[in-house]
Amino acid sequence: MAERNSAVRDATGDNLISRARTEGATDEGGLAFRKQKRSRWSMGGHSNAVLGFLSPVVILVLWEIAVPLGLLDGRFFPPPHAIAGTFWKMVKSGQLFSDVYVSLYRIILGFLAGAIPGLIIGLSMGLFKPVRWLLRPIISATYPIPKLALMPLIILMFGFGETQKVITIALGTFFMVLINTMAGVLNLDKIYLDVAKNYGASRRDFYLRVALPGALPLIFTGLELGMGMALLLIVAAEMTGAVEGIGYRIWAAQAVFKTKEMFVAFILISLLGYIFAEALSTIQRKVIPWKSQ
Amino acid sequence: MATDKIVLRGLTKQFEVKDRTITAVKAVDLSIREGEFVCIVGPSGCGKTTLLRILAGLETATAGEIQIMRNDPSKPLNSMVFQEQSIFPWMSVRKNIGFGLKCRGVNRRTIAEVVDRYLSMIGLQKFGEAYPHQLSGGMKQRVSVARAFANDPEILLMDEPFAALDEQNKIMLQEELLKIWEGSRKTVIFITHSIDEALILADRVIIMTSHPGTFKASIEVDLPRPRRIAELRSDSRFNELFTYLWSILREEVRKAKVSEGLTFRDEDEHDDHSRTLGDESKLVL
Ligand SMILES: Nc1ncnc2c1ncn2[C@@H]1O[C@H](COP(=O)(O)OP(=O)(O)OP(=O)(O)O)[C@@H](O)[C@H]1O
Ligand SMILES: [Mg+2]
Repeated sequence: MAERNSAVRDATGDNLISRARTEGATDEGGLAFRKQKRSRWSMGGHSNAVLGFLSPVVILVLWEIAVPLGLLDGRFFPPPHAIAGTFWKMVKSGQLFSDVYVSLYRIILGFLAGAIPGLIIGLSMGLFKPVRWLLRPIISATYPIPKLALMPLIILMFGFGETQKVITIALGTFFMVLINTMAGVLNLDKIYLDVAKNYGASRRDFYLRVALPGALPLIFTGLELGMGMALLLIVAAEMTGAVEGIGYRIWAAQAVFKTKEMFVAFILISLLGYIFAEALSTIQRKVIPWKSQ
Repeated sequence: MATDKIVLRGLTKQFEVKDRTITAVKAVDLSIREGEFVCIVGPSGCGKTTLLRILAGLETATAGEIQIMRNDPSKPLNSMVFQEQSIFPWMSVRKNIGFGLKCRGVNRRTIAEVVDRYLSMIGLQKFGEAYPHQLSGGMKQRVSVARAFANDPEILLMDEPFAALDEQNKIMLQEELLKIWEGSRKTVIFITHSIDEALILADRVIIMTSHPGTFKASIEVDLPRPRRIAELRSDSRFNELFTYLWSILREEVRKAKVSEGLTFRDEDEHDDHSRTLGDESKLVL
């Protein structure tokens, strides 16, 4: 029985798929069937991964050939091997790490400063009609203003320091998380709120046992979008009043036409984006074990 | 000692939908005794769920009066088993069953004991840690029944709780429900479409009219307790009651069908039956 329990708990683990297959057609039949379906999916995912790996490799090779042939302008598109060389140089000098460190710090701080209030306000707006009526007009009016357009104002208010950068990122994240969280709660079947009410849930229970877990799938969508926003805004925020950071590196490289450094910065940003997305989806699988995919 | 637990007087519920008003429940007068097991039957759409939701405090009546007696402040007043899928997808089976207790701040060990007891009652011991998407429809419904039982309320409100179950599980849970009721003498209001089920379970069967639902008849079920489900069906008194109930109900079901056919032309016009009476003979029940 203990074994079965664990089979249920980490139903996503691959090793369990084979076990579920060999398990007899007892009353666990339903579970085993669902696991088999999942394993078929993951086989499909395997060949997709090979395809996904192939396309960037092909592009890199074409790029490398195209520059000496004069098909691509090497000043704007330095060949991959030269970018790799610069990358290595920046690793050795330590500049790369301090850039990443500084930007990461701003991104994470800004992300948290935006996501946490976004989450709390989003849940409240989803759960309580008066809150929704009160805040929706403000949110609808301010959400469409591009955060980049607000940057000059933020700079006037906070100067060129860290605060300005963190606030710019926080603003972008805030709206993404808020809007998706609210949608997540509003999308919940009304019956769950009825159950909570009938079974005597307190306000705290409504937040923590119903709205939050129920909205988690959309909350994660909001977090992913917010992360994308944060990466976008860090480049803009580091345009002024910075002496380090990935975004700063891009602007500094532009000023002196060091496109190779610029490309290194692009790679770093894309790498960060990838790592964040992976981290979020790992956390998501941990905290949403009840989703069937 | 037959005090009234629930008294309804002139209970009416109307829904405003766009520019028109739907009367779901109309002037229901009803009193239910302490510890009584009442089944409500009536055609689909006659307002049974609405009535139960009003009793559960999830809907407010448009007019009329409700009195519910409260005896034991340590227990929740009522717990509802909903007609539709209602267990939380994000909680394991155990967490779902213990939900009401958790909300009331019962300590963890007691919750675990109670949950264990009801898990085995519904035959899902192996699925305690499973999530609802891993269960079949009938298993989910059993969990929602266990959730209400575990909450141990003064009044159980059950909205067609066994309708989606296979025959074996249905009989098993009917027996469990009878056992629990005979042990605790809770007041139970139980909605069903099945005359069989109503007679097996109830002290009294209440028949509602077709839309808009109102009180039509109340029939005392004088079958001796404890009842044995397997033997009841061959009981002559049971069959007498069955025939009697069906004769009352069949008229309402027919009316419901006729008015459904009517709704395209003139909605809620119940005085206007004369025009379609000719069609009625064509209806097959
Ligand atoms: N929230 C609502 N808004 C508008 N109309 C409603 C609402 N809830 C119920 N109704 C209407 O009230 C009437 C009674 O509905 P109710 O769900 O109580 O029927 P029921 O007797 O439970 O039917 P069934 O046996 O099919 O479950 C129906 O005509 C329905 O359309
Ligand atoms: Mg109903």
